[in-house]
Amino acid sequence: MNDIYQFVSGPLAWVAFILFIGGSLYRVIAMIAEVKKKEPFIFTYMSLKYSLRSILHWITPFATYNWRRKPVLTVVTFAFHICLFVSPIFLLAHVTLWDESWNIRWWTLPDGSADIMTLIVMASCVFFLVRRLTQREVQFVTFVSDYIILGIVAAPFITGFLAYHQWFGYPILMILHVLAGEVMLVAIPFTRLSHMLFSPFTRAYMGSEFGVIRKSKDY
Amino acid sequence: MAEPATKNPVEEQKVVDEGIDVGISRLTEDKIEKVINQVLKGETGARLKTYVSTCIHCGLCSEACHYYMSNDKDPKWSPVGKIKQTIWEMIRKKGRVSPEFIRRAVEIAHTECNQCRRCMQFCPFGIDIAYLIGMVRRICHKLGVTPRYIQDTVHSHSVTMNQMWVKGDEWPDTLQWQEEEARGEFPKLRIPLEKEGADIMYSVIAPEPKFQAQLIYQAAAIMEVAGVNWTMPADKGWDNSDMAMFTGDNEIMGRIKRTHFETASRLRVKRIVMGECGHAFRSVYDTGNRWLGWSQPPIPIVHAIDFYYELLKGNRIPIKEKFKEPVTLHDPCNVVRGGGLGEKLRYVAHALCETVIEMYPNREYNYCCCAGGGVINCGPPYKLKRVKGNRVKAEQLMDARTRGAKVIIAPCHNCHSGLKDIKDYYDLHMDIKFFGDIIYKIMEKPE
Amino acid sequence: MKKGMIIIAGILFLSSVMLLSVHSQEDVTEVDRSVFTNPQRPAAVFKHDAHNQNAGIENCNECHHVYEDGKLLEDESSEDQRCADCHGPEADGNKPSLVKAFHVNCKGCHEKQQKAPILCGECHVR
Repeated sequence: MNDIYQFVSGPLAWVAFILFIGGSLYRVIAMIAEVKKKEPFIFTYMSLKYSLRSILHWITPFATYNWRRKPVLTVVTFAFHICLFVSPIFLLAHVTLWDESWNIRWWTLPDGSADIMTLIVMASCVFFLVRRLTQREVQFVTFVSDYIILGIVAAPFITGFLAYHQWFGYPILMILHVLAGEVMLVAIPFTRLSHMLFSPFTRAYMGSEFGVIRKSKDY
Repeated sequence: MAEPATKNPVEEQKVVDEGIDVGISRLTEDKIEKVINQVLKGETGARLKTYVSTCIHCGLCSEACHYYMSNDKDPKWSPVGKIKQTIWEMIRKKGRVSPEFIRRAVEIAHTECNQCRRCMQFCPFGIDIAYLIGMVRRICHKLGVTPRYIQDTVHSHSVTMNQMWVKGDEWPDTLQWQEEEARGEFPKLRIPLEKEGADIMYSVIAPEPKFQAQLIYQAAAIMEVAGVNWTMPADKGWDNSDMAMFTGDNEIMGRIKRTHFETASRLRVKRIVMGECGHAFRSVYDTGNRWLGWSQPPIPIVHAIDFYYELLKGNRIPIKEKFKEPVTLHDPCNVVRGGGLGEKLRYVAHALCETVIEMYPNREYNYCCCAGGGVINCGPPYKLKRVKGNRVKAEQLMDARTRGAKVIIAPCHNCHSGLKDIKDYYDLHMDIKFFGDIIYKIMEKPE
Repeated sequence: MKKGMIIIAGILFLSSVMLLSVHSQEDVTEVDRSVFTNPQRPAAVFKHDAHNQNAGIENCNECHHVYEDGKLLEDESSEDQRCADCHGPEADGNKPSLVKAFHVNCKGCHEKQQKAPILCGECHVR
C-alpha cells in the first residue's frame, strides 16, 4: 500500500501538476496567439476598466441581474466555488505536505471548517446533479460529459471526506483521494472545466464590448 | 399579471419558403461539410473555440429569451438550446451534417433568434450567443439557404444600395414630394439635397421612402423648426439599413456601409443622424464599420433619440403642450442594450409626454420585440411563429396597460412593426408611436 | 565550562525525573501532544516499547536526537527531554516546528524503511 501511495503522491503528482500547469498555460497562450493571428481586432476593444467592472460584478453574489433573479442557485454556486477553492488550498493536511516536501507553508483552515466546506461542495454537486436531471432547460443541453465533469469535481471531495473521517477502508480511500485530485487537476485545462481559465477572458471581452461600444451593462 | 387575450390558436402549418426549400434541394453532405469547415477554419478563431469550450451547459441564459419564455419554457427555444441544435452539432460532426439538419439550422438562426443579445447579459461567462447564431447564418448564407424574403432585401441592397428596390429617381422624387407637402405647413421648409458642408447628413431606411414617407415629412418639419443645418444625399448612400448584416452576407454589408460612409464624407458633413431605426444603428455604429476595418465609425453616428435629446435639452424645439395620453417606453435592443441610450430615451419621453409609465423589465433588460435581427424580414411565412414567440412581450405590454399606458413609444422601425403585430394578435388596443410622431404633433408650428 | 553546566543540569534533571516519574516508557501509547493548544487531529498512535521492538531500534538517539549548530551529534541523545523543549510551535531557522519535527522524524523514517505507516490516518487514527 505504501508503494502505491508513494507512487500516486510522488511521480503521479508531478505528472498531474505538470499537465495542469503546462496544459493551462498552453491553452491560454494558444488562445491569445490565435486571437492575435486571426481576430486581433479583439485587442482594440479591450479595456481594463470595463473588464474589471464586468468580472467584479459577476464574482459578487447578487451584483448582476441574473444572480438576483436566481437567489438559490446564486447562493449555491458561490458557496460551491468558494469552498471548492478554499478548502483544498488551505487544508491543514495539504499544507503540511507542502511544508514537508518544499518547506513552504501558509495559513490553514481549522479541520472542522474544512469539513463543513467539503460537505458544502458535495451538497452543491448534488444540487447541480438534480438540476441537470430535473430542469428541462438544463437537461436539454446536458451530455454524458457533463455528468463526468461533475463526477470529476465531486470525487476528490467525497474521497477526501471519507478519508478524513476514516470510514470505509482508509488506506484505499486515501489513494483514491489523491488520484481523484490529480484527475481533476489534469481535467481542468482539457475539459469544459477550462471555464476556470477562460471565463476571466470571455468576461473581460464582453465587459469591454459592452462598456466601450455599447455603453451599457453586461451584468 | 393580467393574461392577454389570444385569438384562436391556429395550427402552425409547415412553412413553404423557396429560399430554403430550393437551397436545401441543391445541397449534398460533401458540400455542406466543405462550406462549414471553410467558415469554421477560415473565418472563426479563438473566440468560437473558447465560447464552445467554456460553456458549462448551465442553461442560465434560457430565461433571457422571449421565445423560450413565450413557448412554455420549451428548452429547444432557449439560447443554449438553439446553439446545441446548430453550431455545437456542426462542430461535433466536423461539418458533416445532413441537408435536413441545415433546414432546421436555418430556421433556428433566422426565425427563432433576433440576435437581441439579452442572453449575453444573462450568461455568467459573457458568451456571445448572438455571434454564434450569426456564424450559423453565415454558414447558411454560404450554402445558399436563406429565407427568401430577407434574401430579396439583400439582393436589393446589392443592386440598388437600398433595401426596398427604390430606383434611382424614385428617391429624390419622394423627397421633393414630401418637401412640397410640407411647404403647405412650413412655407420655408426645404429638404436640402447634396448640401456640401452641412452639419448633418440625415439618413433613413428604405421603407421610409417606400411606404412611410410621412416620416420624412416629420423629420423635415423637426429640422425646420429646430433650425438645423442638414442635408440628404440625392444618390446612393441615403439608406442606412442593412439586411446583409443579418443574413451573414458580410461582403454586401461592407459595400452598403462603405457607400453610406463615403456619401457622408463626400458631403463633408460633421455627423450622420439616423432616423428611429435600431438595426441600422447597429450596422452603422457597431458592425459595418468593423467589417470595413474601422474600430469606431469614421464619422460620428447619432441616433434619432440622441439627436432629439440634444434638441430638447437645448430648447430648440418649442413645445405647444405635452403629449397627454400616458405612454410606455419600449427600449429597442440595438440602441439601448447596444448603444446605451436608455437614459436619453427617458429624458426625451419625459420632455414630450405628461405621463410615462415604465414597463418591466426595462432599459437594457427589456424584452425583445421579436421582429429585429432580420426575423420580421423573413416575411409572412414566419409571422405566426414570431407573434406566438413573443407572448411574454404581450404580457409585459398588458401589464403597462393595466397601469394606465395607452401609447407605446418604440423608437425603432423593427420594434414598431413587431409590436404592431403583437398588439393585433393579442388584442392589446394600444397605439404605437415614434418619437418623431409625437414631436411633430406637439411642437409649435407656424400659424 | 558550558558543557559541564549542561551535564550537571542534565544529571539533576534526570534524577528528578526518575524520582518523580509516575509512568514509564511502557505506558506511552501515543505521541505527547499536551503542548498543542488547539490540536486538529487525534494524537498519533505510538506504543513506545512495542514500536522499538518491532523496528529493532536499540539506540535512543535514533529518535531522541541532539542537534547543535544544525549538525547532528552522533553520540548524544535527548531522551531525557521533551521534544517540545527544543521544538517550539513555530520553526526557528533550520529547526522545524514541533509538528513538523514529529512528522519528519516519524514519517521520514517510515518512508525510508518502506514498511511503516505513512498516511495521515494511519497514525492519527480516529
